[in-house]
Amino acid sequence: MLNYLINRIKGAVIVLFLVSIITFMVLMILPGDPAQLILGTEATPDMVKDLHVSMGLDKPYYMQYGSWLIDFLRFDMGESYLYGESVSLLILNCLPVTLSIALFSMIIATLVAFIFGVLSSVKKDSFIDYFSRSIMQLGTAIPSFWIGMVFVVFFGLRLKWFPISGYVPASENFIKFLKSITLPSVVLAIGEFGLLLRIVRSSMQESISQDYMEMARVKGLSLISIYFKYALRGAMVAPLTIIGMQFAKLVGGTTVVETVFALPGLGRLVLTAVEHRDIVLLQGLVMFITTFVILITLVVDILIMFINPRIKTFERGE
Amino acid sequence: MKKFLILLMAFIMLLSLSACSNGEQPTNPSEISNEKTELTMGYQTDPEGLDPQRTAAASTFVVTNNIYDTLIGVTQGWEITPRLAEKWDISEDGMEVTFKIREDVFFQNGRQLKSSDVEFSFNRLKDEESPKARDYANIKKIEIIDDYNIKFVTEKLDVELLKNFAYPWAAIVPEEEVANLKTKPVGTGAFELKEWVPQQHIILERNENYYGIKPKLETVKLELIPDATSLMAGLQVGDLDIIPLTGDQVKTLKDNTDYSILAQPMNAVQIMSLNTDNKILSNEKVRQAMSMAINKDEIIEASSFGYGDKIGSHLPTTSPDYYDTNDVMEYNPERAKELLKEAGYENGFDIKLTLPKNYQIHVDAGQVIADQLSKIGIRVNIELVEWGTWVSEVYSGKKFEMTVVGHTGRLDSYAFLSRYKSDSEDYISLKTGEVDELLNKALQELDGDKRKDIYKQIQIVLASKLPAIYVQTPYTMLGMQNNVKGMNIFPIDIYDFKDVYFE
Repeated sequence: MLNYLINRIKGAVIVLFLVSIITFMVLMILPGDPAQLILGTEATPDMVKDLHVSMGLDKPYYMQYGSWLIDFLRFDMGESYLYGESVSLLILNCLPVTLSIALFSMIIATLVAFIFGVLSSVKKDSFIDYFSRSIMQLGTAIPSFWIGMVFVVFFGLRLKWFPISGYVPASENFIKFLKSITLPSVVLAIGEFGLLLRIVRSSMQESISQDYMEMARVKGLSLISIYFKYALRGAMVAPLTIIGMQFAKLVGGTTVVETVFALPGLGRLVLTAVEHRDIVLLQGLVMFITTFVILITLVVDILIMFINPRIKTFERGE
Repeated sequence: MKKFLILLMAFIMLLSLSACSNGEQPTNPSEISNEKTELTMGYQTDPEGLDPQRTAAASTFVVTNNIYDTLIGVTQGWEITPRLAEKWDISEDGMEVTFKIREDVFFQNGRQLKSSDVEFSFNRLKDEESPKARDYANIKKIEIIDDYNIKFVTEKLDVELLKNFAYPWAAIVPEEEVANLKTKPVGTGAFELKEWVPQQHIILERNENYYGIKPKLETVKLELIPDATSLMAGLQVGDLDIIPLTGDQVKTLKDNTDYSILAQPMNAVQIMSLNTDNKILSNEKVRQAMSMAINKDEIIEASSFGYGDKIGSHLPTTSPDYYDTNDVMEYNPERAKELLKEAGYENGFDIKLTLPKNYQIHVDAGQVIADQLSKIGIRVNIELVEWGTWVSEVYSGKKFEMTVVGHTGRLDSYAFLSRYKSDSEDYISLKTGEVDELLNKALQELDGDKRKDIYKQIQIVLASKLPAIYVQTPYTMLGMQNNVKGMNIFPIDIYDFKDVYFE
């Protein structure tokens, strides 16, 4: 186990290093730099040059990258050009928002996917099977910004059940916090549950067709016990991997929903950093999100190991 | 598993129940009473820090103008008013201006404001990290006479000098706080910053030690909502008191008596800049043909739902120096075709139009223009770029053929027009030099009427030479709950919450 972990960490460091270089290079290739953006339509070439010097942008690229890397290794992610605030503080401010909607939407998506997935695999080709297959396609097909707008207008403006926009921290008012993340989470869940449902359904079908299921039936176990305790357990591996991937994706990719619901999350911070060529902020964000994704995959692998002891993932690493 | 499911179901039901019950609550009675002193306004772009001397972003100035003060201010009607300076004197030759500063002004950190702070602030505005340094290069000496009198001496005569003291970046800042102004602004203004959570909100609180008439509002909360539809929904539900509007939204709100609308022409011009280094566009007849093929009324209708004034030259309709040049190149597609033929492009040509995609109004206008030009045979290829790319490629790099963009927010016509000097190195400078001499004369002319006449001539030259095609003066549009009073729109990009109150 320990060896396995060490190997994973080694891999993670290499990934992080590569990602940081790629981010840096992409931003160097993109036209536009922060000095030009600060000066805007007032700039003369001389002014851009002066500002380059005072912002340290006149140094060669590798030196800029080097000094960023040295700071990063000292756990100093630097200060954003744009906000003048430390990058770690900015990320820390945005993290709870994104984490709550990502988590909440995955809970919703998982519930829906498992309920309908199990039912439709048990009652194959029944009404419920067709129904779940069609909502699955609907969920994948509807663009999230559109359904977001519809939700804002219907649940926010018409029914006034939920706030239109904004985020209330859980520490301030828990009920308001839940209300502020419900609509965006549901919108995200609608986009995610389709794939998950499909995986649950096919895994369940495979699991049900196993010999030991016949055995369980012969033994006279209750249906619920058969399907949820035995069949589902065997069918968990693939969905769990997908859930992990989807969750990781949401942590870095909720920009559209954050914009529609005016949530101050990581996705919008990434967008702002790119738009303003705020390389220090962007590097910090990319590093953070990459680390997060690596951690999630690790956790999922370990979870799968516990659920299905037949798969000993870590032994492969030894 | 079962227990877990039941628990979750119960949790979800509870949630939806609590949601229902809250929705039926009556509106908070205090919101209807006269004593409301908390204003909430929606905005779409975060400021680039709250240090007015380290950015050129309008999103910063709309906020900082409430926290910091300038020596003089400007009214809605373009008149100069006292602010930190009680009065001022301009020497007879126009080379020196002396300000008398109020003796009762304190910074929000408790220290009194003196001449030395004014000197420090203007030196900071002139240093290399200041985006506006160029505008103040002409000030060669700042002389402290005593604690409350200070003199500025210019190198060359600049008749528009005084206006440079009214811009929001000419704010007076305390030396001991400058290191942190970006996140912790300290000024002398009517409001101080209570909290700024980037991407979320900015809360301003009334400055109880403000030297002027105290604002009626206790707090102003600016809430960041990037999406226009969500902003509108926020206004309709009553969460927001003021929001910026787009043209189509004005139409929706116009007939509803619950809301009032503030729609005024901005101090800005929307233009389609043409790169005269391009072989085809260097031909004056081609540019004139294009101008005649473009129906500006149609653009204004399509991009701003009618909220715009068409223009024929590079000054906004709001400017005191504005001269109507719309008839110089009137819409005439037949004549446009003839001109194109005379220029040797009977079968039209292909041309690229670069549009900044963050600005919907320019993108919309560009699309209409492309369609209109296609009718005289000019095939326009639209390229959408984001703002960072636009600034470096089009504006600084001059690598473009045509682009639609806005130029904004200057009080003096010279600052608007000086980019057309043949040696300005600007992306739309008039390289043939027809306005050089006029511009030099304008800056030296002390007589107001004569100066106005010079600006008129410049506008006429631009209207026929067309280094750019002048489209419209767009409108600033705000939607407000109808109990919000005292909100005004100014010729510079600022909001002023000092006089806002609830009725």
